[in-house]
Amino acid sequence: MIYQAAIDESFPVAEPTQFERLRRGDPAALAEAIGQYRHRLYRYLLRLVRDPASADDLFQQTWLHVVRHLHRYDAARSFDTWLFAIAHNAAMDLLRRRPNESLEDREFALPAGGPDALSTVLAGERTAILAATMAALPALYREALTLRFEESMKLEEIAEVTHAPLSTVKSRVQRGLEAMKQKLRKEDIL
Amino acid sequence: MSDHESVRQLLALSAAGLLDCSQERMVREHARQCAACAAELDEFAALAAGLSALPSPQPPAYLLARTTALLAAEADRRQGAAFAAASAVFAFALVLLTGQALRTLVGDSAALAWLAWAAITSVFGAASALVLTSRRRLERSTV
Repeated sequence: MIYQAAIDESFPVAEPTQFERLRRGDPAALAEAIGQYRHRLYRYLLRLVRDPASADDLFQQTWLHVVRHLHRYDAARSFDTWLFAIAHNAAMDLLRRRPNESLEDREFALPAGGPDALSTVLAGERTAILAATMAALPALYREALTLRFEESMKLEEIAEVTHAPLSTVKSRVQRGLEAMKQKLRKEDIL
Repeated sequence: MSDHESVRQLLALSAAGLLDCSQERMVREHARQCAACAAELDEFAALAAGLSALPSPQPPAYLLARTTALLAAEADRRQGAAFAAASAVFAFALVLLTGQALRTLVGDSAALAWLAWAAITSVFGAASALVLTSRRRLERSTV
């Protein structure tokens, strides 16, 4: 391992030390980890719940769960997927309680009319339209897309985070992309 | 299903980089000969690139401090609970040892009186601890 670390700069030698410190309950290691993951975790939660106040709460809940269950974390597994799986569970609990939230509507159609024209003009960005179109997808589809394209997770990692079979993850990515493409084509964005 | 139709089903996954090598090769070979599929593949690729480049929302500045404070309170609570448990075990052992010593030195009645007194004070002590704990929890939740 030492030889591999010496010849390969990308070899993660620092990680086990940080997790050992985390496991011992070292507050500095914890603050370091929260800082390290704050952008990614917050973005993932915000894409899922679409509401900054709920994303804030879920972010805190996720870290509280991490601290309480760190002894269950298997260091042989990826910390990223463990952390995002905890966040996924917390977000799903919240979304299931929302009366109008569609988690995985098999017959979903993106709303006609598209993103608010004024906000699009004000934002002046194609990305604003893309983000609004993605936000209109059912939760599990936008989750699959954000994990694949924003988190660059592999199929297996997405399946682990979402507790779904590989075929289901593939189908969510495919249907999410197809729905977005159809919608954006209608809007002449693509 | 025709070759064209089966490849069309794979275009989105190809743009997402989720096909295995043989499927990816099949898509690429078909797209070289089919202008419609090539155009659709380009659209999916543009969409995938757009999603990868979406601007990341910034977490609020207070979030880090608030989360760290929450976790510090949790660590404090756990430490307090561990200390309370250790104190309870120590107090219980002390009561039993004192009772045994009184029984040997003074007699059974003194030992029984001591145990009864210890039981009464323990009940009041535990009740006070519960009240204090719930009050602290309430204070924390309203902060």
